[in-house]
Amino acid sequence: MTSGGNAGGGWDALVVGSGIGGMESALKLGGMGYRVLVVEKEPSVGGKMILLSKVFPTLDCASCISTPKMAATAHHPNVTVLTDARVERVTPKGDGTFAVKVHQEPRYVDTSACTGCRQCEMACTVAVPDQFNGALVSRRAAYIAFPQAVPQKALIERAGTSPCTFNCPAGIKAHGYASLVRSGLYEEAFNLVAETTPLVGSLGRACYAPCEAACTRGQLEGPVPLRRLKRFVADTHYASAPSRPVPSLAGPPTGKRVAVVGSGPAGLTAAWLLGRKGHHVKIFEAGPEPGGALRLAIPSYRLPVEVVERDIANLKEVGAEIVTGSRVDDLAALRREGFDAVLVATGTPLAAKLGVPGEDELSGVRPALGFLREIKLGQAPDLSGQSVVVVGGGNVAIDAARSALRLGAQAVHLACLERRGEMPAYEWEVDEALAEGVELHDGWGIAGFVGDDGQGGRPGAVRAVQLMRCTSVFGPDGRFSPTYDPQERSELACQLVVVAIGMGVDVAAFPELANGGRTLQADPVTLQTALPWVFAAGDAVSGPSTIAKAVGQGRRAAHMVDRWLAGLPLDGLPSPLPEVDRSSVLARQSSHSYRAPLAPAPGAVPFPKDFAETEPVLTEDEARAAASRCLDCGVCSECHQCVKACPAGAIDLDMRPQDFELEVPAVVVSTGYNLFPAENKPQYGYGQYPNVITGVQMERLLAPTRPYNSVLRPSDGKAPERVAYVMCTGSRDQTVGNPLCSKFCCMYSLKQAQLVMGALPLAEVTVHYIDIRAVGKGYEEFFEQAKAMGTNFVRGRVASIKQVGDGNLVLRYEDVDGGGGLAEAEYDLVVLAVGVQPNPEAAGLFAPGKLALSPYAYVDEPDEDLNPAATGTPGVFVAGSASGPRDIPESVLHAGAAAAQAAAWIERSRRTREAMAL
Amino acid sequence: MKRDPREVVRDEPFVRPRLIEALGEGAMTVPELASATGWPPEEVMAWVMGLRKYGYVAEEPGKDDAGYYRYRVVRRR
Repeated sequence: MTSGGNAGGGWDALVVGSGIGGMESALKLGGMGYRVLVVEKEPSVGGKMILLSKVFPTLDCASCISTPKMAATAHHPNVTVLTDARVERVTPKGDGTFAVKVHQEPRYVDTSACTGCRQCEMACTVAVPDQFNGALVSRRAAYIAFPQAVPQKALIERAGTSPCTFNCPAGIKAHGYASLVRSGLYEEAFNLVAETTPLVGSLGRACYAPCEAACTRGQLEGPVPLRRLKRFVADTHYASAPSRPVPSLAGPPTGKRVAVVGSGPAGLTAAWLLGRKGHHVKIFEAGPEPGGALRLAIPSYRLPVEVVERDIANLKEVGAEIVTGSRVDDLAALRREGFDAVLVATGTPLAAKLGVPGEDELSGVRPALGFLREIKLGQAPDLSGQSVVVVGGGNVAIDAARSALRLGAQAVHLACLERRGEMPAYEWEVDEALAEGVELHDGWGIAGFVGDDGQGGRPGAVRAVQLMRCTSVFGPDGRFSPTYDPQERSELACQLVVVAIGMGVDVAAFPELANGGRTLQADPVTLQTALPWVFAAGDAVSGPSTIAKAVGQGRRAAHMVDRWLAGLPLDGLPSPLPEVDRSSVLARQSSHSYRAPLAPAPGAVPFPKDFAETEPVLTEDEARAAASRCLDCGVCSECHQCVKACPAGAIDLDMRPQDFELEVPAVVVSTGYNLFPAENKPQYGYGQYPNVITGVQMERLLAPTRPYNSVLRPSDGKAPERVAYVMCTGSRDQTVGNPLCSKFCCMYSLKQAQLVMGALPLAEVTVHYIDIRAVGKGYEEFFEQAKAMGTNFVRGRVASIKQVGDGNLVLRYEDVDGGGGLAEAEYDLVVLAVGVQPNPEAAGLFAPGKLALSPYAYVDEPDEDLNPAATGTPGVFVAGSASGPRDIPESVLHAGAAAAQAAAWIERSRRTREAMAL
Repeated sequence: MKRDPREVVRDEPFVRPRLIEALGEGAMTVPELASATGWPPEEVMAWVMGLRKYGYVAEEPGKDDAGYYRYRVVRRR
């Protein structure tokens, strides 16, 4: 038995489906010595029968009958079973054989290591309806299908990568930490983020949260506030964690030394991850404090210094060293000092210039980075009473303008080339800046600066900014190419100008890596430079970007450096599963109730006086309520709790689907039937009234592995005293397009009636029927037995079901034997004896029209009476209820016929091919 | 307004502490627990059965006169 990988070759027959029919055909063929491949879409063999309580008319335990057959199928030496797999296409080749394409989904669990202990399931933080229990109870995204599943191995349901996680440039499992917060596992949430970066608190404040922009919930009332959840877990962790961490997360020492040049988000992240791998890392920072832009550029009202410092203190946990005031411009010297590899992540420390008159000559005209840096180092100028002009339309310009207000500026003007809607700054940041009192002058270019004449060799002081109307920012090719109207001019008086029009890489420090460009040159995938032992990452390579992107680059660099140090190929950074389609997530539910998003943080205050954080941390209740709005888009959240819980180390989230092709002489289609969707009879209230259930759900309530502790009402857990069965729900019913009798609903209802009376001795069971079809060995006697036990039988169709108080249900029905009139009766629980429908997957195995169907869309048997199980396609046979409603004994019999037919065909076609070869 | 079953089940990890806290006062039937928490009985039933499946609660022996089982906490996390 296998659930992954290529199934091999040399098959004599393919059996599609492993219900009772498929298993029987496979075992019969295997017993004859043929090599059989069984392809099953579910994670276990057994089909629908294994989920039944008992079988009629013997009332034998269904599991007791099924499980030996399941085990025999899985372990037969001539039978190989692929679970979680689908046959995509069967194509006749013209020589009596078939080409078969198979798609196999991964279980994300190494089945050879999994012991079936369910520790992963117990640790999983995502709850979904248990389809193997009629959705009456939950299961987890990590789960074992059901207690008798074969194989008894876990699997993880993954629909893809959740949009939040997929769109995080840092590679942080946003869905994962949201699901952990929802479960109250805050420390685990912190640790999950820390698997990627030590900068949990900084990202929780200063990230621009592309995860939230991608959040599916954003298409309803608003996205899950993922960034603020991250801040919550960081603040919660830091409130209890030691402020001076000790090395506890460093991997076993590798003896390798890595120098990281630069301590911004990329460098710190790479150092953190390399330290966790056991490498000794030393960070060289040219500035007076580590942290790069986090520490020296982002204003404290967005990112307090102490938060950055606490994040950086995490590096102590991996034993990384940090030296400040240490500028590196000789990489070879590092090599000589014994570093095995070097990562350059120096960011964009240079400020772009306008190149207009007065910029270099006048005092009071200065770059934003220097302005912000002084503030963060506690050297902020006093701007009381001054007028400040900030030049630029990006986020740094906004930071500078809002900082100037906090330093007491009387007026702060923001002049930028772009019109409001074109500004590169985030719209909400612009809104907050304006609310605080910044005056926007959009669509203006800088013509020059006017100042006083300098005296005594001192430069003159800036007095005003001359503006010139910008008519367009970008050229027809979309590139930055501003044009101006020199006739339209303006002037802003000021005492300080802060220029924030861009940042650049200090390529002069590493000419051997720049190769004449404006950024350092590194392979975009491996981040390796022209010097094999030197890697480069972050804004130094990409140019100005975002914190999250820099973190992502640091993560990639750490992976590649680690591989290079180990002498491994520079690959293997796991790529995520494809992003889940948001519309498919929303379509999983029939409706979405309104879940109030967080109240917005307090609005910006005009002319703020200090650098206190503007956004409060969430309370625990707020955080959990906010996290509970997550829609679990990818199903599995990648919270990694299963990975940590599995004692066998069997979880492998990097598994990927596989497609392969094979060739077989014979195909047995055993795809079974579909149940009638009871929602299609809305007058019966299924899906609206909790105490209207289907016969399959009642099977589960009666089964030994039932979802409840007894037969109880789903509405409130009460043991029902009056139970009604509504026969022929979806069968013998032209109104739903199915005139056929489903053949076994009568019998399973009679069975259930007896079992219910056994489980609930005081319960009354009433069957509303058209006629009872008890055609089979011992079936009539079984009917009589049900009557003898006290089952009530009411002949006539049920017209409608309505819910009344306390979840009870009133049936309005035709009472044929009671005079033919309409009557009503009240019950605690109503069971709809749903019929069956053809499974369209059977025809979908072949090209359109290549597998003939009966008028009712079951697989056609052209000569059912004398040539059973043979379809209209030579070499293709049908087993069980894929060809029409059949009960279990009939299915087994029919599957035996299919096996015999397939065996005969295999022999005939082999001889034919041999003859042709001669 | 009846909520989609998937949405109800998804809330199970979120509501679990409050349900366990309420049951910490003593074993309750589903309607009693619904009354104590203010949540719909149908949803509480789904959650309690989930908690039961994963070992947080268990039923006490026998039903009461109205046909309800009482559930008690058997494990705290």
